[in-house]
Amino acid sequence: MSYRIIVWVLALILLVPIAVFLIYAFAQGWFFPALWPERWDSGLFLRQLADPQLRRAFGQSLIIATGVSILALVLGYPAARVLELQTFRGRGLIYGLFFLPTVVPSVATGIGLNIVFLRLGLAGTLFGVMLVHLIPVLPYVVLTLGSSFARYDRNYEQQAAVLGASPWFVFWRVSVPMLLPSLVVAGVLAFLISWSQYVLSLLIGGGKIITLPMLLFAAASGGNQSLIASLSLIFIAPLLILLGLVARYLGSPATGATPRP
Amino acid sequence: MQTRKRIWNLAVMLGLVSLIIASCGSNAATPTSTPSSTSLDINNWAGIEQAANGQTVNWYIWGGSDSINRFVDQFYGKALKERYNITLNRVPMADTVDVVNQLLSEKAAGKTTGAVDLIWINGENFASLKQANLLRADWGQSLPNSKYVNWANPAVNLDFGEPVESLESPWSSAQFQFIYDSAKLQASELPRSYAALKEYACANPGKVTYIAPGPGAFQGTRFVKQALFEVSGGAEQWLGKFNQQLWDQWSPKLWEYFNQLEGCLWREGSTYPKTENELHSLFANGEVDFSITQAIAGAGSLIKDNLVPVSARAFVFDDNMIGDFNYVAIPSTAPNPAAALVLANLILDPELQAAQILPENGFGLGYGIDPTKVSDPALAAKLSNAAQQLGDAATPASDLAKSLRSDIAAEYQSLIEQGWEANVLRK
Amino acid sequence: MAKWRRWLGLAPASIIIIGLFGGSLGYGIAQSLGWLPFLGQRQLSLAAYRNVLAGEQLGGQWWQALLFSLWVSLAATLGSALICLGLLSSIAERQQQYRGLSTISNLHLAIPHSVWAMALLLVLSQSGIFARIGFGLGWLDQPSDFPVLVRDRWGIGIIMAYITKEVPFLLLIGLATLRQQGREYLLVAQSLGANRWQRVRLVLWPLLAPSLIGGSLLVLSFIFGAYEVPALVGVRYPEMLATMALELFLNPDLHARAEGMAVSLLMSLIILVVIGLAWRWRRAEQQS
Repeated sequence: MSYRIIVWVLALILLVPIAVFLIYAFAQGWFFPALWPERWDSGLFLRQLADPQLRRAFGQSLIIATGVSILALVLGYPAARVLELQTFRGRGLIYGLFFLPTVVPSVATGIGLNIVFLRLGLAGTLFGVMLVHLIPVLPYVVLTLGSSFARYDRNYEQQAAVLGASPWFVFWRVSVPMLLPSLVVAGVLAFLISWSQYVLSLLIGGGKIITLPMLLFAAASGGNQSLIASLSLIFIAPLLILLGLVARYLGSPATGATPRP
Repeated sequence: MQTRKRIWNLAVMLGLVSLIIASCGSNAATPTSTPSSTSLDINNWAGIEQAANGQTVNWYIWGGSDSINRFVDQFYGKALKERYNITLNRVPMADTVDVVNQLLSEKAAGKTTGAVDLIWINGENFASLKQANLLRADWGQSLPNSKYVNWANPAVNLDFGEPVESLESPWSSAQFQFIYDSAKLQASELPRSYAALKEYACANPGKVTYIAPGPGAFQGTRFVKQALFEVSGGAEQWLGKFNQQLWDQWSPKLWEYFNQLEGCLWREGSTYPKTENELHSLFANGEVDFSITQAIAGAGSLIKDNLVPVSARAFVFDDNMIGDFNYVAIPSTAPNPAAALVLANLILDPELQAAQILPENGFGLGYGIDPTKVSDPALAAKLSNAAQQLGDAATPASDLAKSLRSDIAAEYQSLIEQGWEANVLRK
Repeated sequence: MAKWRRWLGLAPASIIIIGLFGGSLGYGIAQSLGWLPFLGQRQLSLAAYRNVLAGEQLGGQWWQALLFSLWVSLAATLGSALICLGLLSSIAERQQQYRGLSTISNLHLAIPHSVWAMALLLVLSQSGIFARIGFGLGWLDQPSDFPVLVRDRWGIGIIMAYITKEVPFLLLIGLATLRQQGREYLLVAQSLGANRWQRVRLVLWPLLAPSLIGGSLLVLSFIFGAYEVPALVGVRYPEMLATMALELFLNPDLHARAEGMAVSLLMSLIILVVIGLAWRWRRAEQQS
């Protein structure tokens, strides 16, 4: 099979659902065996865009996902650095620990977390939801940054330090620029995972925090395909834009991107 | 340099320590706001309205229908703001059972003030919350507008067989109905009993199915329960207290009926739709001939929501169509109970009741109140007018009345669900 | 000093994981042992586990759900891995950076599983887009003539949803390996006179194996435990373990929560054992 065909087939597999959503979002009463909708109506889609609840959910999703990305980078950077640049006893164990949440189903952890967070007074707060999103997010950030640290040359830092640079200077002017692609990619992955979370947001948000996936799942339970399609489009658009913007970084070998299945 | 580093380290350590302390001192977490619920006197309605002024009511409600969402925002949201200065926060749920879990977890965490003010609820979710003692008590029959509710009706004071006991207040009524496509079938060709349905199914293999009974799919359970009424020769004997002997006597007959039906069903009964909406979609796309609804507006609001073709119509069998009420309940941990009480009372307002049954308003379920109890002639006229404007897509009122049966003891519910799973689904 | 700072670097992230994840797991274990304080039940027992593994009704359901989960997750993982390996084998010797392919694969990551499953439903159901095209072309007269591809008894819909979603994911992992070290080895092998098949089998596969196996294990554990896709494109029976666990958990009979938690913990245990075994096997491979 030629390379070009593979790329086109994958592109098609991606485009077909988006096209289907676009048609369904604007079609009205479109049932089998009609090949093409007879009635079109942009009312439902536009109403969704103007809906105050959707706007608020969009805003909260945005705040949470951005906050999670930043938190995950701040927490994940030192951990990944230590894990990859140093060898010590228990290193494997800690890697295993970070790996654990990626294999244990969120169904198993969801409800228990709910109780823990209610006790801490964090349930129903933006910060609480961000914190709980870190559980599925952190492993991927640590793994991504870690595999980038594995190729990292510390000599540059040492030279800068020998030349009299302060630790902060070394961090901002040497380490961060060298790792920038990896940091961007890890941040985007974190955003992606957080943006798509449903169960954890539902359990910790407790209805006070409403995110886009919650609106989408509520719509899915109602079976109105135009509504589902409209919300799906609104839901995936920012992700497509974001990934499109950083595609250049994602494609470069230095990032060590560890995507999520 | 050194000092800065030390301060930095100290700050981090302090942060960690406080986190650990916070996670240990679990019950020390203070409630976000003090519950005013204890001081509310349900008989001092003016005081309740006063307390509710400026509050936000968090109404947890199934959010799967765009048109119901809009109905709630437009009719209740507006009226609450204009009449009582209350803000409505409609929280859309994919499944009401999520609220039940939320409340249980709050209880397990020892919270006295939660996040939920009002829930649209009935059946097993009500029973769960009642069992866990999580509902506000002694208010349903004390609302000012509760005078319009016929509390003497067993269909009102029993919710899926579970005594309501003033723990909830009705919103609307529903009755089991089928939907057909008038562009494909004549009314005279429709089956009017379970026996006739089986004949129809076997004459048109693959064109009939029903919703799988089980948690979260009460319509399926009801479909089977109604068949039980028919194969046992009538619904009357099932009323009253749970009767194991009666069940043991007739359940084999019931499973026999369903196993005979199975071979003629959609996909030969190897799978069943899981929800009402899955069935609507099969029906709308012509995969099956009948769908199921509980709405008094029949297919009307479904047509409005574009879930079924415009030629869809509702019909009932000649007998055994179960009807019931659905309710709103207030958790005992509600942060704004006064506003929740005002909303529950507003829902029973005859004017809004008249609005809720009309298919064009998007809700389409029946009256929660008893129109004959409304003495004001103008309001009474409004209610009876609305009832006459349900349109072609609704089942004629006389058919509904003739076939109406009330629900039976809650114990049968799980027997039917488990029995169906073991004797029909896994066979 | 260095030691102290090492732990300081690890501490924030570890506390999040240990504190929250561990705390919830601990609470889950307590619930599975019948500690249901909201019902006033505080006695611990193994009854829930007994019910799940050997109970009259649940026992049968558990073993069936386990088998079905294994079938779906293994079939989807193997399918994705083989397709990915095939694709990579056919393009490995290109002299470019695989930019187009990795961009497209990355864009696939933007679609969450739940949205993907809904799209699949619209396209592949018996009255979906493909069935309508078939009808338009006169290939079928009614929806039931179209093959049952989603919400089917054998989990084909679930497996297809996962394969289409995981192939791009595995491709990304494989491409990363290829870019780092692939071409040099292949060129060396070529100059030593190896033919195409030999190059693929003796150079490319061993090169890709570690990362693809690692990626596949991630995929396997994800599919084994996820419930969105089976909930949307699966059927009531047979069901997957994640669906069974959630159903028990959400059962209006609150005592079923213990069983729900037991199922999800057993499920986690199984996947951890599988991953652990694979890990040891790989280490043994590496050492020999």
